[in-house]
Amino acid sequence: MISVRCFSCGKVISNHWDEYKRRVDGGEDKAVVLDDLGITRYCCRRMLLSHVELVDVLSPYQ
Amino acid sequence: MEVDILELSDRSAKFVLSKVGMAFANGIRRAMVADVPTLAIEYVNLYDNTSVLYDEQLALRLSLIPLVTDLETYMPQAECTVCGGEGCPACELSLTLSSEGPAVVHSGDLISSDPLVQAADANIPIVELKKGQKLVLEAIAHMGYGRDSVKWQAGIACGYKNVPIVSVENCDACGHCAAECPKSIILVEESGAMVPEEDLLKCSLCRLCEKVCDINAIKVSFDENAFVFTMESDGSYTARDLILNASDVVKGKAEGLISILDQL
Ligand code: SF4
Ligand code: SF4
Ligand SMILES: [Zn+2]
Ligand SMILES: [Zn+2]
Repeated sequence: MISVRCFSCGKVISNHWDEYKRRVDGGEDKAVVLDDLGITRYCCRRMLLSHVELVDVLSPYQ
Repeated sequence: MEVDILELSDRSAKFVLSKVGMAFANGIRRAMVADVPTLAIEYVNLYDNTSVLYDEQLALRLSLIPLVTDLETYMPQAECTVCGGEGCPACELSLTLSSEGPAVVHSGDLISSDPLVQAADANIPIVELKKGQKLVLEAIAHMGYGRDSVKWQAGIACGYKNVPIVSVENCDACGHCAAECPKSIILVEESGAMVPEEDLLKCSLCRLCEKVCDINAIKVSFDENAFVFTMESDGSYTARDLILNASDVVKGKAEGLISILDQL
């Protein structure tokens, strides 16, 4: 699951994950999506850019 | 003291604070980050958790969700005059959550015992539940201070810089400074280089323009008693309320100091 807040500045960024994922999967440029979402600082941008979702990988082993 | 508001929205603000010293400006900044109490989840009773996350991870995620805080109704638990720190309706409240997969559990699914206290953002994902996975819990939120844990930190990316002063004298309009400025705010006209008034606050005081000027025509300095402040709120308070609460904290501390000095 995406971290709730940015590690560095503390801004809540996880509430943008669903929209970010949907739009990036739809072929939009990541930088443009991040700008649109109002995520301006690079500490917050890397949170979304570098996130790898592991729920689907882990869930069979519960 | 003068305040000139440049931008003000629900969650962020930018303003020029002038005719105050550096210590005062920093006092306000620190109060916003560390000394304005907010509500955050502190204890979690888990009745059922078959999700992919451990109980501790869930509790951490829950604690980081900003809750809209009502400073009038709640007081920091350690200072609670009703219960003396043990927990009572004046310093804590409970939120419950119950969900069954397949579903993504969001912060908006938390049901608060106080309708005024809700998650500031309703769409923060807490955990994704697959078919058959279950989550039932009760969370207890306390009032606390940002200096004790980030979960109680209301101010985000609060910072300031001095108001820049760029002066140009005997310039030969060669244009080197304009090409070097990372903020592209220097205009070179026939009369010489200049920074338009409305762009001056964008100057980062990097002094690259000074370095490339061969004849030392451009000088960058700053006003020691004027600050460009930027701040954001995590949603516990509006940006405006957070600044006002921070000022109250500074005022309260100053008054506390006076009363101690009076007793000496
Ligand atoms: S100090 Fe830096 S940002 Fe400011 S005008 Fe000079 S080059 Fe531009
Ligand atoms: S201030 Fe210096 S570098 Fe800039 S245009 Fe004038 S002479 Fe050239
Ligand atoms: Zn950040
Ligand atoms: Zn109490």
